[in-house]
Amino acid sequence: MSYLNREKPIIEAQDVAKSFRTQAGHVDLFRHLNLSILPGESLAIIGRSGAGKSTLLSLLAGLDSPGQGRILFAGQPLDELDDNARAALRLEQISFIFQSFHLLPELNALDNVRLPLEIQGRSDADDQARHWLEQVGLGARFDHYPAQLSGGEQQRVAIARAFATQPKVLFADEPTGNLDDDTGHHIIDQLFHLNASAGTTLILITHDIDLANRCQRRLHLHNGQLEESRS
Amino acid sequence: MNLLPRLAGRQLLTQLRTTEWRALLLASWVAIALTTLLSVLGDRLEQGLLRDSAALLGADLVLSSSRPLTAERLQGLPLASIQHTSVIQFPSMVGQGDDLMLVSVRALQAPYPLRGELVTEPPGNGVPAPGEVWVEPRVMTQLQLQSGAQLDFGYQPLKVTRELLASPDRGSGFRSFSPHILINAADLEASGVLAPGSRANYRLLFAGPPDAILALDNALRPTLDSHERLHALSTDQPLTGNVLGNALNYLKLSALIALLLSAMTIALSLRRFTLSQHTRSALLLNLGLKPGQLIRVYLYQLLFAWALTAALGVLTGYLLELAVYQWLAELLPQALPSARGLLWFSGAGLGLALLVLLGLPPILQLARIPVAHLLRGDTPPRDRTALLLQGISLLLLAATLLAFLEAPLAALGLLLFLLLGGALFGWLAQTGLSLLAQPLARRLLLGRLLLMRLRQQRQWHRLQAAVVVMLLTLLSVTWVSRADLMQQWQAQFPADTPNYFLINIQPWQKAGVDSFFAERQLNTELYPMIRGRLTRLNDAPIKPQLTTAQQNHNTLRRELNLSWRAEQPAHNPLVAGDWWQSGDTGAISIEQDMADELGLKLGDRLGFDVGGTQVEGEIRNIRSVVWTSFRPNFYIIFNPEALQNAPSTWITSFHLAPEERATSRELLEQFPSLTLIDIDQLLTQLAGWLQHLGDSSALILSLSLICGLLLLSVTLLQALEQRRFESALLQTLGVTARQAQQLDLLEFLLLGFVCGLLASAGAEGILAMLHQWLLQMEPRLHLQLWGSLPLLAALMFVLIGSLIRRPLPLSQCYRLLRSG
Repeated sequence: MSYLNREKPIIEAQDVAKSFRTQAGHVDLFRHLNLSILPGESLAIIGRSGAGKSTLLSLLAGLDSPGQGRILFAGQPLDELDDNARAALRLEQISFIFQSFHLLPELNALDNVRLPLEIQGRSDADDQARHWLEQVGLGARFDHYPAQLSGGEQQRVAIARAFATQPKVLFADEPTGNLDDDTGHHIIDQLFHLNASAGTTLILITHDIDLANRCQRRLHLHNGQLEESRS
Repeated sequence: MNLLPRLAGRQLLTQLRTTEWRALLLASWVAIALTTLLSVLGDRLEQGLLRDSAALLGADLVLSSSRPLTAERLQGLPLASIQHTSVIQFPSMVGQGDDLMLVSVRALQAPYPLRGELVTEPPGNGVPAPGEVWVEPRVMTQLQLQSGAQLDFGYQPLKVTRELLASPDRGSGFRSFSPHILINAADLEASGVLAPGSRANYRLLFAGPPDAILALDNALRPTLDSHERLHALSTDQPLTGNVLGNALNYLKLSALIALLLSAMTIALSLRRFTLSQHTRSALLLNLGLKPGQLIRVYLYQLLFAWALTAALGVLTGYLLELAVYQWLAELLPQALPSARGLLWFSGAGLGLALLVLLGLPPILQLARIPVAHLLRGDTPPRDRTALLLQGISLLLLAATLLAFLEAPLAALGLLLFLLLGGALFGWLAQTGLSLLAQPLARRLLLGRLLLMRLRQQRQWHRLQAAVVVMLLTLLSVTWVSRADLMQQWQAQFPADTPNYFLINIQPWQKAGVDSFFAERQLNTELYPMIRGRLTRLNDAPIKPQLTTAQQNHNTLRRELNLSWRAEQPAHNPLVAGDWWQSGDTGAISIEQDMADELGLKLGDRLGFDVGGTQVEGEIRNIRSVVWTSFRPNFYIIFNPEALQNAPSTWITSFHLAPEERATSRELLEQFPSLTLIDIDQLLTQLAGWLQHLGDSSALILSLSLICGLLLLSVTLLQALEQRRFESALLQTLGVTARQAQQLDLLEFLLLGFVCGLLASAGAEGILAMLHQWLLQMEPRLHLQLWGSLPLLAALMFVLIGSLIRRPLPLSQCYRLLRSG
């Protein structure tokens, strides 16, 4: 399994701290947090509401900066990258799947998937978008707009959009939070299947213990610290 | 304080920080200020000029004629218990020293006026004594007269004894706007200014008890001659009133645009506000507030907002009214009374109607929100009740606006024009934007994103473009025509275009006048002028042979000025037939448009009533006439033999360079009874009137521009969440914050650019139509519009866009997407 190999980590958090100033005073979300994720691993971050899971995710993805310590992506410290380089990193190597799907309502399924490919300036954007929609079983619904799709279908479009750019790391934030159990299971099967075949690193935030158990690693965020359990 | 108003007050205070409430308050402020201005000004004009027609007419009944009204005209009329007097009004040049001024003279005899009063400084009663003249302030200023000064008037110098501040009975038409002077009728003969056949308006004024006036009206009306008109209070609006009434309507129509924009701003602000209140309403209902109480909370909030803007709006309206009244004051025949108290609050009333009618439907919808919204996000039902309510409130709103404008047909027409024009421009702008974006999309990443943005925002773009293009078009047209139109019209004439008309030249003065001009090498030609009425066509009465439209033709409703000549006028080329040889006694020449419009052709025989005598002639040729050539022009010219024995006066026009002005003075010294009309002065008066009206309308349209900017910001606000969400998503997908910002900038720049181009095209189109139809000039390009409008519109969009949509830092993007 990939987590056993001794490759360099794809993402590394070194002694990371993040705090907020609120009206009530200074709040430390986490201190001295260390984490290393290898390419191709699947990893779940679990924890109670307000523990800082989403903040940790946005730090790992380079969307936010830590107060102390540093995050390395493929050995490259993120704090050394300017806005353009970070944007390029997100564009080429990172994808997201959100709880609320976040499709653009005025674009049909095909155009939504094509969007990041077009931003990359890929000439095969259309073919790739069709391919990935077919992969998630929506080959017959290219022309449908988000409002014409069910929640599960919308999330499948979002999954197709996430995989279409063939990212190295996929962040999924409560991907089944807005779906019923059956649909959620189906979506997760698809997500893990695509992840395995594409060799993507999957970082998942979830409340769902069953879902977390399907990942190779589970990190419990508690009192600003990560506790790890492996399957 | 009661819970509900307190809750409403708190809500309003919190909401004051939001852009939609600021826009709502500003829009309602502007709407209230504008309506206050127009109601107050309208009421003053109406009270001063329109409603009190008796005081304006100077009588209860006026018989007006282009021929002298002698004592015989009164014979057989029921004049018991009726007071009457006569007035003669005519244009004339008066002067002091070398200065000459064109004025309208009224020669009076006591009692005068029969209704209303003459307001003079120093005050006093009666009419000017023989040898005295009362003049309006404009005459005092222009001729630099002091009280007691001598005013040259024909052969008779007159002493200025009073300044005339206000007077009724100003006559009709443009003469009512000229500066007036009053003299005693006894001085008329001595001055020699008025001779038989002179152009003047003769009036008999009557006043008395209503029954007697009605009887007189009934007796007079059937006996009216073709050169006579009867003005009664009940049936006629004096023309001064009509012109000012039309001007007021024009200003009100300009204001309609601002009112519509304000209404749209208020509606969209309330839409955004009520959408944000779903959770709060559901919560308040869940806590036990009854729907009726919830409605009251929001109504209180609207009322508080109204009270705030009403106070400011009425004050602003007052200040605006001061400014506009100053502009119009010079053109008003007399000072106006103050507006009636209640009218000061009509703007505030309209503002309340706007807020309540636009606010009630969404507020009632809020009260229908299911409490389950808190759990499942349910929205209020969009059923027939909601639609019906919206429909009714829109109808009521339209009715309120139309009632305010008092010219429903014109307002409806303008509304239709704005809607159709807006729809067309909106569509054109959107199409233009897509065309511009296509080549960009092939080359640039931003271009591809722009295409997506254009698709996403297309509805808002249409609305924004419609508003901006229509506004800029109308503003440009007002702005350009205000200053340029008159100048351009005047500039098109050759330098030697006549600038003086000389009329009322009596036959015995003709030789003297001819030699006066010959001595000064002024190339003029005198034309005889005879009054006659067209009555017959091919030996039968003409009217039954014509269509209804033709029967109402200008040339059939009044007496025509006929002329006679041996040679063809050099400035009237023939378009059909040939000019006659001497001795061809039956020949006449007709003007081309009259012939076309009445369907007359070569060989037709026309019969005229000339002072009771029938004169006939056969159309031998058709002439093309340029009426704006400032040369004597006639619809009909006879061969000399047919008319040279009819009583006539002579007319001519000539050109004097500024340094030759003394010639006009010499002419009047030598022939004091002639009427000299200074066309330059006449045009200056007309240009002044247009300029003031244009200024007032530009002021109102500038306020519309503020409303347009407010509306623009509110429409940008409607899609703000969508834009922020899209920007957050794009940034997480790998677009930099700078690129996201550039995307907005590019969108606004292109939108502004396209809107500016369309507005330039629209303004050119309207100006071209004005040139072509109103001034009959070749349309010309206004390059300054093409340069400035795209720039101005782009700047507007970029400014408002950057005020509304601040850049979204990357760290907030993810938070925003999670919260959505």
